[in-house]
Amino acid sequence: MDYTIIVFLEILRAISWLVILAAGLAIIFGMMKVINFAHGEFLMLGGYITIMSHNAGVPLWISMGVLAPLVVGVFGIIVERLVIRHLYGRIIDSLLATWGLSLLMIGGVTMVFGNTVQGVSTPLGSLSIGAYQVPGYNLLLIGIAVAMMMAIWLVLRFTSAGLIARATMQNPDMAETLGVRTSWVYMATFGLGSAVTGLAGGLLAPLTGVAPSMGVNFVAQSFITVITGGASMIAGTLSAGTLLGTISQGVTFATGPVYGDAALLLAALILLRLLPQGITGRIFRKSL
Amino acid sequence: MSDLRPILTTEKLVMQFGGVTAVDNVDFSLREGELRCLLGPNGAGKSTFFKCLTGQLTPTSGRVRFDGQDITGWETHAIVGMGVGIKTQVPNLFDGLSAYENVRMSARRKHLRPMAKEKAEEMLEKCGIAHLARREVGLLAHGQRQLVELATVLAGEPRLVLLDEPAAGMAGDERDRLADLVLETSRRAAVVVVEHDMAFIRRIAKFTTVFNRGAIFREAMIDEIMSDRAVQEIYLGKQADVAA
Amino acid sequence: METSLRTDPGFWFMTALGLVLLFLGPLFWDLFQIMQITQYVVLSVYVLSLAYIWGFGGILSFGQAAFFGLGAYTFSVAAINMGETTFPFVLAFAIPAIFGAALGYFMFYGKLSDVYMGVVTMVVTLIFWKLINHTAGPEYAIGDARLGGFNGIPSVPVLNVPGDAQAWLDPGQMFQVFMAILTLLYVLLRILIASDFGRISMGIRENETRAALLGYDVRRHKVIMFALGAGIAGMAGGMWATYQTFIDPNVFSLEMSAKALIWTMAGGVGTLAGPIVAVVLLQYLSLKLGEMHILNNNFILGGIMMVLVLLVPKGGLPTLRDGIAALRVRGSVRRSGTPGKVAPDV
Ligand SMILES: Nc1ncnc2c1ncn2[C@@H]1O[C@H](COP(=O)(O)OP(=O)(O)OP(=O)(O)O)[C@@H](O)[C@H]1O
Ligand SMILES: [Mg+2]
Repeated sequence: MDYTIIVFLEILRAISWLVILAAGLAIIFGMMKVINFAHGEFLMLGGYITIMSHNAGVPLWISMGVLAPLVVGVFGIIVERLVIRHLYGRIIDSLLATWGLSLLMIGGVTMVFGNTVQGVSTPLGSLSIGAYQVPGYNLLLIGIAVAMMMAIWLVLRFTSAGLIARATMQNPDMAETLGVRTSWVYMATFGLGSAVTGLAGGLLAPLTGVAPSMGVNFVAQSFITVITGGASMIAGTLSAGTLLGTISQGVTFATGPVYGDAALLLAALILLRLLPQGITGRIFRKSL
Repeated sequence: MSDLRPILTTEKLVMQFGGVTAVDNVDFSLREGELRCLLGPNGAGKSTFFKCLTGQLTPTSGRVRFDGQDITGWETHAIVGMGVGIKTQVPNLFDGLSAYENVRMSARRKHLRPMAKEKAEEMLEKCGIAHLARREVGLLAHGQRQLVELATVLAGEPRLVLLDEPAAGMAGDERDRLADLVLETSRRAAVVVVEHDMAFIRRIAKFTTVFNRGAIFREAMIDEIMSDRAVQEIYLGKQADVAA
Repeated sequence: METSLRTDPGFWFMTALGLVLLFLGPLFWDLFQIMQITQYVVLSVYVLSLAYIWGFGGILSFGQAAFFGLGAYTFSVAAINMGETTFPFVLAFAIPAIFGAALGYFMFYGKLSDVYMGVVTMVVTLIFWKLINHTAGPEYAIGDARLGGFNGIPSVPVLNVPGDAQAWLDPGQMFQVFMAILTLLYVLLRILIASDFGRISMGIRENETRAALLGYDVRRHKVIMFALGAGIAGMAGGMWATYQTFIDPNVFSLEMSAKALIWTMAGGVGTLAGPIVAVVLLQYLSLKLGEMHILNNNFILGGIMMVLVLLVPKGGLPTLRDGIAALRVRGSVRRSGTPGKVAPDV
């Protein structure tokens, strides 16, 4: 019984983890149909800000939950204004440009902080379930994933900003004729997506520590989750996160963590062979 | 209705997009070598019907038979390989290539190099655009592009030719040449023509099918169609339900 | 637009240049220069794998490093096990090509969009990189070859004369063999591009729907091109392994994939000569900048990539060519040449 709970919690954690990692990317993809190839470096930036500010005396929760999203969000807005804005309608070029940005950021951070790993200890101790110990941080991750999805849903569903976002998502030209400045909507979207990614990076920092090239360890999972999910932010991320999280955790239980990612990709490829626009391209199409 | 065997038939063909039924239960039959005009107001489902025939869309239900073979759900290239050629409503050309290269690309699929060259030049000549052979088609006028696309389709020597609004954007003399070309083509292949241009239709049409809201509305000789009140009404956008 | 290979001066110039370097180069260069130039030659073979499929088939792969690395590891493992290098060299082409065909099948028959293709090819590279990094333990061995994880495989055999496993090539000979491969590859690709197969590729790049409506099997055609590109990248990987006599997981790195993109963009998508020139110039540049120890290599690469996308989207050679053409016809109105489209020659 205890073991079942542990396994269940582990799977839930894996799902939540994918959701947190991919949420920022999914917001941007859902609105703008653009994949931010520098996603991993936005995570990295969130991590660095968390650890740097914590080392400078800011309480961990503040640096993780406030500073990281704030700074990365602002950074995202700058990137959107300087780079992405010029590449609307040129999807491939925006992939290439953000890839360039990713290399630039890795190089830049290496020049400033050096190629070393820095870290803080994981907060929240652990809980015991029967004979097993569960890190409290895992439960926090699960909670945050749920809260994130809820927040996005509430904003999209019930606020006027959400209405504008949904209108733009459905039909940008139409929204424009109704007086929506789509250019601002995209800027805000990119900023918001970046902020969510910054938060994810902050949450990551205590788990893995930070290093300039840490992004590569997480982008594969994020990308796969988003493209298998398809264009709907919430339904896509949740369904893909659930499916892929379960698969990767299952494989990890069976063979160890090395093959987890490979299994993810294989599952995604097979799924995309069947549903080329991702899960929400065919199923749950009308959802958010 | 025929002594000749049909080259193309559809049975209860349906194509739905979400809530929209663009092709609604169509039973269509075309004899070998027949020239058929397909009329209908905007949005009647004519282009969608063509797309179902050529595998660009997979019908929601129903069957398509070509030359006795059930080709429902086949890949486009396989259907074309059977001998179907289509000029789409939105011109589909290799814009960066020359007119000659476009036509040759089609001829080359059936013929060896020297023969393909000959065939392509012959087709350009026949369509009256030999002087445009070396021009990049992306830079040609709309009517000229239509002719290039027609030459491209014919160079594949299809047994069934589908033409979706071939006269659109054409000047008067171009249109006359097109009509002659269509009539000549129909001596060697079955042809279905979709057009809104009535002057053009009058020159070529014999037996005619009218689509309305995805379904076959009338099938009769062109004179009969022209004088049919109900057909006039659907074209004028009035309520046609009563008449039907 | 159509250009005949026989009357294209660019083609003859590049071929002649290749042959001249092949025969005269070793007479004039010292060992260090030969080693340096051999590196450019190997990377040129690598860049052609992308320049071909992207420029002449419109297939954008963000993961050429996956095939490059696969070729490198295939060659190394096979050569260590077999004790000779000829058959391993063939495998370095064949295995990545087969893998490319399988991956291409999923992507093209799944009709994935451009964004999805980009992401999938990139992720494949990442996963290879991750997997191979985890093979440090002694249990990860194929025959006599230990994969070595992040330490890589040391002492990869030097190329030998086919049939004589003891007759190793010296650096000068190795350069000549590689230069011959590059020249031959360039000529063969140009012939392929000018052939009917190549015309169909170009047609598909221009308008997939029309190509299918003419009866061409677009997806199969793309899989073939993609697999060919994968094979060429794999062969370059094999050359890289034997040139360095050592490989590590960096052959699978994202930088390696990015470099292929950068060189192709810099040289111009839709040409073969441009990307080769870009390899030489940019590798030389980053060598010099690297020696100065101010700027990080990734920083330079990323910067170049962003500048290329934002400011020189057509690429170096076409921009140069257009510039010269514009100078020549200044005052008169330019007749042809749609922006963003590049004449498929050179
Ligand atoms: N891909 C699609 N998705 C959704 N609806 C579609 C799609 N293609 C066509 N339709 C709808 O199907 C109906 C039939 O369209 P179709 O283009 O076949 O008409 P048509 O008879 O060719 O009209 P026209 O004479 O204007 O060319 C229209 O209501 C159109 O909006
Ligand atoms: Mg139509």
